[in-house]
Amino acid sequence: MIRKDAIKIVSDMIGDSPIISANGYISRDLFEANDKDTNFYMIGSMGLSSSIGLGVALKNLRKRVYVFDGDGNILMNLGSLTTIGKLKPKNLVHLVFDNQRHESTGGQPSNTKNIDLYEISKSSNYNAFKANSKTDLKKIFKKIKNIHGPIMILIRITSGGKPGKRITHSPVTIKKRFSRNL
Amino acid sequence: MKEISQRKMFDLLLHGGIKNFVGVPDSTMKHFISQGLKKKKILVATREDEAIGIATGMSLSKQNSLVFMQNAGFANSISTITSLVQLYEVPIIFLIGWRGYLKNDAPEHSKIGRIQPKLLKAVGMDSKTLTESNWKQCCKWAINKMNHSTSCALIIKREFYD
Repeated sequence: MIRKDAIKIVSDMIGDSPIISANGYISRDLFEANDKDTNFYMIGSMGLSSSIGLGVALKNLRKRVYVFDGDGNILMNLGSLTTIGKLKPKNLVHLVFDNQRHESTGGQPSNTKNIDLYEISKSSNYNAFKANSKTDLKKIFKKIKNIHGPIMILIRITSGGKPGKRITHSPVTIKKRFSRNL
Repeated sequence: MKEISQRKMFDLLLHGGIKNFVGVPDSTMKHFISQGLKKKKILVATREDEAIGIATGMSLSKQNSLVFMQNAGFANSISTITSLVQLYEVPIIFLIGWRGYLKNDAPEHSKIGRIQPKLLKAVGMDSKTLTESNWKQCCKWAINKMNHSTSCALIIKREFYD
């Protein structure tokens, strides 16, 4: 499963719940697959999508808040897992699209090939799941409907596919429409 | 700043509409943080840029937020400030402890302490340095900035040795 397909599948299932997406190809793919007012595209500040998502989740307890993260991204801010794990937001769903590399910058390897984020997230108080196929992904999404957060879904993706187009909204527009729709 | 002023400053900001105080602890402002902990309003992050991310999420949820840190952490956060806070115009008040303000502070603080005012200027962030006589006005200035969707910084000097 390539990233683009995975992002399409999950964003269709999520509907109008807030999504905070990591910089690089993840945000671009989400923009192309399902541009919505409820998407916050984090185009800079690599590593912080889960932190922004935590802030949104803590203040919007009635909404499920989704974070679209990458392996390179979460590795830059592993401390975030401990903050989330300590606060245990029931409404936070953290998805990591893991291709074991920094695809946006030329495919250089990341550490997730050797280090298991599943174990790390479990010991950080997450309910953790692994999805290795489209079928897994759909099953897990059904299952988590009745499970409390924080939830981690590690989605194993392969490299490839043409990256989505660049986001055409200005950052201030992204902020305003997201905020208005919370 | 004296303990009593730090505690009163926390209360003034809280009553002035700041709902969330997120950051990494700094001994220069320990009484401010202690007052916040007493009122259960403090969220401690692992890094300063993480704190800025969390505060951004809260600010997107229409809740005014303050991020506290030491100046070393401010230097760590510059890219986050330019590519998140300033790019998206997120109104956050930064409370920054200024180590290296005194010439004989610990050696690891001397360089970053010396360039702290220049760093703020280079980043383009308006700031006020707090004193015993001006802190109330400075807090009101910061709240006003935030209400006009602009981020700004309040600087608290390290005026003691330990």
